[in-house]
Amino acid sequence: MRELSLGGFVLRVAAWLPPAFLVWYAAATIFAWPIALLTEAVARLAFGDLVGKVEQHGHIVTIVSTLKAGAATTGNPVEGVVSVGLNTLLYSFGYPMLAALTLAARQPRAWRTLLVGYFALAPFVTWGIVAEFLKHVAFDTPASVASQAGFGATERELIAFAYQFGVLILPTVAPAVFWVLTHRGFLERFAAARRPVAGLQ
Amino acid sequence: MVRFFVGFLLLQAALFGAELTPWAQHWFVAPWTNALAAISADIVKLFDSQVFAEGKILQSQRNGFAVSIEAGCNGVEATIVLVAAMLAFPASWQRKVAGLAAGIVAVQGLNVIRVISLFYLGQWSAPAFEFAHQYVWQALIMLDVLVIWLLWVRTLPRGGVAAAPA
Repeated sequence: MRELSLGGFVLRVAAWLPPAFLVWYAAATIFAWPIALLTEAVARLAFGDLVGKVEQHGHIVTIVSTLKAGAATTGNPVEGVVSVGLNTLLYSFGYPMLAALTLAARQPRAWRTLLVGYFALAPFVTWGIVAEFLKHVAFDTPASVASQAGFGATERELIAFAYQFGVLILPTVAPAVFWVLTHRGFLERFAAARRPVAGLQ
Repeated sequence: MVRFFVGFLLLQAALFGAELTPWAQHWFVAPWTNALAAISADIVKLFDSQVFAEGKILQSQRNGFAVSIEAGCNGVEATIVLVAAMLAFPASWQRKVAGLAAGIVAVQGLNVIRVISLFYLGQWSAPAFEFAHQYVWQALIMLDVLVIWLLWVRTLPRGGVAAAPA
């Protein structure tokens, strides 16, 4: 059995991190694909009245809303709708982090774990994307546009919390939690390495 | 293990919600962020005297470049995650307090390095600054939290860990 050294593990994580970031950035379109599909599904199911369509352009997911960009008058008919381009990279940098941790742990079936992680983390990335869209509609658009969405005070508070949680907590915590859950055996041996009797019971 | 994860997620959500309140922002987050900028400036002045801090902004007098330390870059969220992970894990209060004291110093220490490195990276290359700021350092800080937590778990006596239901 390999000795579980924290220093060795950290060095392996540090070594895997640059290539993991490189692959993630180069393959950003592929990483964004399930996120775009999931975003479209969530947006249509939960906010069908707000969302016209969802498009993917590289790593950018654009949500085209049904909200008219300006107030219609008899002399100024409304022509456009509000669309929001959302950078999936801002919410998906946990993928290279998970890859570095998983490969550094050198556990069996690491690539299968990464494949499962690719899909398991997609809902958390989608959370960030949808929450940013809602934040944009509720807080960053003119009152004439925001009022069309009809958000109340409580809904605006929830949107603000969901956005902050989606951008500040989930992108890093979700992959860390997934890694801990999928590496329990490794962690048990790791935790027990310095004790006279092993056992995370 | 299930109890640990449920406790961790609940604590984390509660602490994060508390952090977002105006009271916490005014009395804790803003003063802490200003102190972080001041500490970073004091360290940078050891080798670059033309740097100063004003509020949460770290600025160069030489070229006018400045970074503003915003939410997500002040280490508060990373600290919240560490606090939640240590409090939720079965261990004695003595061990938790010791772990939190050392862990918070370690997280914030790396965060000072993040702020200073981004300050100079931004003066060298805007794209490099953006990439490091938005993606790389975010991951590094969370990896730091994870490593600190692993190190702390490893130092716990067997009895403290054995209480964790699998």
